[in-house]
Amino acid sequence: MRSLISKWRYAAIIILVSLGVFTFVISIQNWQLISSLWFSDIGTLSQKLILTLTLYTSIGTNFTFLSATTTVLTSILFGVNIALLVYYIKKVQGGAKTAFSGGATSMGGLLSGLLGIGCAACGTFIATSILALFGVGALLGLLPLGGEEFGIVAVLLLGYSIYRIGKKINSPLVCEVT
Amino acid sequence: METQNTKNNIFVTLAIPLSIIIAALVIALAVFFSGGSNAGQVAVNQPQVPTAQQPPQQEGDLEAVRPVDAEDHIKGDINAPVKIVEYSDFECPFCKRIHETLNTVVENDSDVAWVYRHFPLEQLHPVKAQRAAVASECVAELGGNDAFWQFTDGYFADTTTGNNRTDQDTLIPELVAEIGIDETAFNECAVSGRYDDHIAADFQNAVDTGGRGTPWSVVIGSDGKVLPLNGAQPQSAIEQIINLLK
Repeated sequence: MRSLISKWRYAAIIILVSLGVFTFVISIQNWQLISSLWFSDIGTLSQKLILTLTLYTSIGTNFTFLSATTTVLTSILFGVNIALLVYYIKKVQGGAKTAFSGGATSMGGLLSGLLGIGCAACGTFIATSILALFGVGALLGLLPLGGEEFGIVAVLLLGYSIYRIGKKINSPLVCEVT
Repeated sequence: METQNTKNNIFVTLAIPLSIIIAALVIALAVFFSGGSNAGQVAVNQPQVPTAQQPPQQEGDLEAVRPVDAEDHIKGDINAPVKIVEYSDFECPFCKRIHETLNTVVENDSDVAWVYRHFPLEQLHPVKAQRAAVASECVAELGGNDAFWQFTDGYFADTTTGNNRTDQDTLIPELVAEIGIDETAFNECAVSGRYDDHIAADFQNAVDTGGRGTPWSVVIGSDGKVLPLNGAQPQSAIEQIINLLK
């Protein structure tokens, strides 16, 4: 892992993907404001840009402590996952199966992380909308953290995915005796 | 053997693009279900009228915001160039957070007026959100606009409030007594039901403007231009929006 981060290309992947996921999360929380701002003639380009960038700080005001923590962790861990997957695919010819299952776990983690965005007590929870679509929105009320468990599951899934890919990367390339 | 290699190569080639496609689908799904834009919100099977009040999902139009008038609860000058119309729920923890922020914003800037309207999410905060909204209206009726703001400030400042855990049987009478409202008249008002329609109208207006959860605000500029403000945004972002609309 250390050698991976020391390579600027993979460090860049981690930073860019993490920032991308984090930006996406902040954007969907503030989409109404962002779209209204950018699709109107209100303010100059620089004013629009500064306001949009200021919205990054809403992680401190518009999220619960748990939700903010899992959002930041999910963003970073997803970045690390993608960098590891790219590294593994390049290193191991024919490593597609691991890459594929690792990718699936990462996506599961990201999906779970997205479900955990919002405020359950304010009606802005993404999971509420999705579960309501299937008529099981009330299930969230049964969860002790009101749905913030999704964020924790995301961190666990992404952590597990990193562990698995890391283990594969460190395994010597040998032909197993069958 | 060659077939196996070809299969592996296909997997290698497809793994990343496939991951990206899945990610894109997840992202699209999340935006879709979060009701991201005013124009593209998903209509789920929830009532459009506030009979069983819950976070609405239908599309909204910011221009549908009911004009601010003297009947509203206003902090600041009603003729201020910028008005923040907030739709709030007394039991929402993030409403508590933005209440403190907006108090500071209005104190610091005389060009801003803050209008408080009700958006009680009955499904999330059954009974208590509505009861607090009714109590605030009764306080306003019996004590005026200042009394209304004393009540809301006091309610949100109380550390025990939020998430439907407020001990209203203690807090509301305490606040009513502190403000100096006649207890008998207040109790009569609180059970009369005469503010139910008013609160329902506020709720519906929040929905009509695109509110999907609380706190939901519409910021109206001097030239009638509007911007939405969803959630408890940081003070710096709110101040920038105000400056854009002055």
